[in-house]
This record gives sequence, C-alpha cells and structure tokens, in this order.
Amino acid sequence: MCERCGRLVRVLQGRQPVETPSAQRLRQIESALLRDLKPVQPILPGYVFLALLSALFVATVAIGSLLLGVAGWSALSAGQRTVVFTVSGAGGALLAVSLVRQMFPGSRHAIAPARLLVAVLALLTVVEVALFRSQRELAFVSDGLMCLRIGVSYAIPAGFVSWLVLRRGAMLSPKLTGATAGTFAGLIGVTVLEVYCPNLNLFHILVWHFGVIVLSALAGLIIGSGAPWSPRAGTEPIR
Amino acid sequence: MTLDLDLSESPSATAEQLMIGYQRADPAATSELIELLSPGLYRFFASQMGNRTDAEDMLQDAWLRIHRVRHTYRPGDPLLPWVYAIARRVRVDNFRHRQRLASHEISDKIGCRPPAAMAVPNGETDELPSFDELVAPLPESQREVLTMLKVNGLSLEEVARATSSTTGAVKQKVHRAYERLRNVLHSSGQLVRKGVAP
Repeated sequence: MCERCGRLVRVLQGRQPVETPSAQRLRQIESALLRDLKPVQPILPGYVFLALLSALFVATVAIGSLLLGVAGWSALSAGQRTVVFTVSGAGGALLAVSLVRQMFPGSRHAIAPARLLVAVLALLTVVEVALFRSQRELAFVSDGLMCLRIGVSYAIPAGFVSWLVLRRGAMLSPKLTGATAGTFAGLIGVTVLEVYCPNLNLFHILVWHFGVIVLSALAGLIIGSGAPWSPRAGTEPIR
Repeated sequence: MTLDLDLSESPSATAEQLMIGYQRADPAATSELIELLSPGLYRFFASQMGNRTDAEDMLQDAWLRIHRVRHTYRPGDPLLPWVYAIARRVRVDNFRHRQRLASHEISDKIGCRPPAAMAVPNGETDELPSFDELVAPLPESQREVLTMLKVNGLSLEEVARATSSTTGAVKQKVHRAYERLRNVLHSSGQLVRKGVAP
C-alpha cells in the first residue's frame, strides 16, 4: 500500500471522538414524542399499493377506450401494437414500482428514481421514432390540441388518484415524487391516446401525445414543490 | 475519551424490536430507541454542521419527521436504512436552505473549508487530520456517503437504500471520494515535508 493510501486508511479507520447530543436536548425530544405517542398501524405492504396503481393504469385506459373508441388501436399494425403497448405498460409498471418504493424510506431502488424518469421517457421516444414516420398533416395544431386536451383530461384524474395512494406513505422528496407521479399519470393519458388516436404522424405523437407527459410531469413537479414534506395521513390509531 | 464507532456490530435486531414497540406506543421502547439511535444521528448531522446547536436542531427535526412517518417502517425490514433515509432528507433540506441564505457565516458552516484547513496543528508533520477535517473539502454527496459508511457504520447496501441509490453508484461515489482525499492529503504537503515521493 502506498504512503498516501496508508495515511488515508489510518484516518478513516482511526478512533473517532464520540460526540453525543446533550442530555437536555434528548429529554426535549423524548418529551415531544411521548406527548404525542399513539399506536399506529404499520402501512400496508408495497404490493398493495402497486396493485392499486396498476389497476388505476388499466382502468383508466379501459374507460378511455370505452368512451373514445379504439381507432388508434385499429390503425396500428400487429407489430406496432405489440411494441407500443408493451413499452407503455412496462414504463407504467417501472414508474409505479418507483413510486411505491418512494413511499417507503430506505427502500431498494434498482435504478435511481430520477434516472428512471429519464430512461422511461427516452425509451418511449426511441420506440416512437423507430416505429413511425413523419407525414403531412393539414391540421397539425388543431388536431394536436384536441389530443392534448384529451390526454390531459385523463392524466389529471389519474394523477389525483395516484396522489391519494402516495399520501399514505412518506414522500421524502416531494418534488421527485411529484415528477414521477406526474409522468406516471401522463403516461396513462398517452396510452389512452394511443388507443384512441389514429394519427400516426411521428411529429404529432412526439409533440402532442408526449406533450401530455411533459405537462403532467411538470405539474407534478410544481405540486410537489409546494407540498408539505410528508403527507398528513398515516398516524391512525390501531382499532 | 474515544471509542471505536463500529455500528456494524450494533444490536440492530434490538433496534428493530424497539421500533416495533415505538409503533405500538410503548413509552419505554420509544425512550430506549431515542437513546440508541440519537448518537449516530447526531454524529451524522455534526459532520455537516459547524456547531452543536445546529446539529441538535437537525437531530430534533429528524426525530419529528421519524415520528410523523413511523407507520411507514415495515417490521422485518432493516431499520438503519429507513432511519438514515429520513435523516438524509433533513440534512439535504438543511443544506439547501443554507445555500439559499448564502451568508458568509453560513457558508463557513457548510464545510467548504479549503484544503489548508487540514494543515496539521502546531506544525507537526506526522499528525493526521481528523475525519471531519479530512472530508470537509468533499462535495456534500460524497461527504454524507463516507460519513454513513465510516462513522455511522452502515453497509454499502444500507447506504444505497438510505440514499435511494444503487450499490454500484455508492461504490463509485466512495471511490471518487477516496481519490480526492488521497490527492488532498498529498497536496497538503505532509508527504512532501517527509521527503516521500508522490
């Protein structure tokens, strides 16, 4: 071991002075907690919340299909359907898992949540670029705004229900959780559009469909920025 | 008086049982849990703050947050990652708050001391810097990871869980921190004064 490494090791493994908080402060902390001490029901297991979010995804897309029709689904080839909906489903599942893990402090993350957001968005973009081509579109803006409105109108309630689920946990990073939840809700809105909208123009999809995800993610981030550190729910007494 | 802080041998099973007692509103378990975890948490905050009062304020803030979200601890899961994930959030929030304030007095307290701060006291060339002096020049994210590993005794896996990261990312952070510390120790002139080639 070189001298530099040896000195570093000696410092890192050296005896550290023990610093402890003052007895007075510990008593204050103890007193505050004991004053408010009530039994709490441990939160339900993560798979329950994962099931709820998954059901939200499927139910919203199903409702959208029933109300709006399936013209988009019909316009896709079998191969395109397989890829588009597999990727959307997989993206939704990964985001849902990340959200649930963010509810439980100290959870394992296979991919850091912020990186997962970027990865899901990047994957969706790559898939769309690979599957679709740019086409002439006469009413690019008006058609696009209609899709944007529809997508957002499904993303908003999905985001609200997601928030009802997430508030049961501990949102240590409200901004990150808000952005993740917004992206999740936006993806639900986009999936509804993929079933409904027969427009396969790549730019229409990238601008107006993905615009739903961008708007939702931003909304989630802004709402998360203003949210209190932790949700109000959670300290119900044991019945 | 100094003691080895080897929390890897800590009675984590006891801590988890105490945590369950805390969830069940057992006052004795609650008090014992506070006594057990507070020194490590305090040390975690003290490595960021320059004074006892601020570190104790953060300790108190951490306990209030732990209290609010105690229902999210799942019995059977390791306790330390859960606790330190919350503590880390307190530390990050405090760090960002102080950066926003950005006063001269506060910028000294966030540990951005130049390498010269590690100069050996009394000019003796063979005295090593303390851990806090050593890690002071590191970026906050590297400093917190090293503190959790070396002072609080968490494992790599536990640090990864506490920081919502992966074991690989933590290893990388630690590796970069060690590289930086080796360079800083060298450039502090201690080796040069001893006539040892870099």
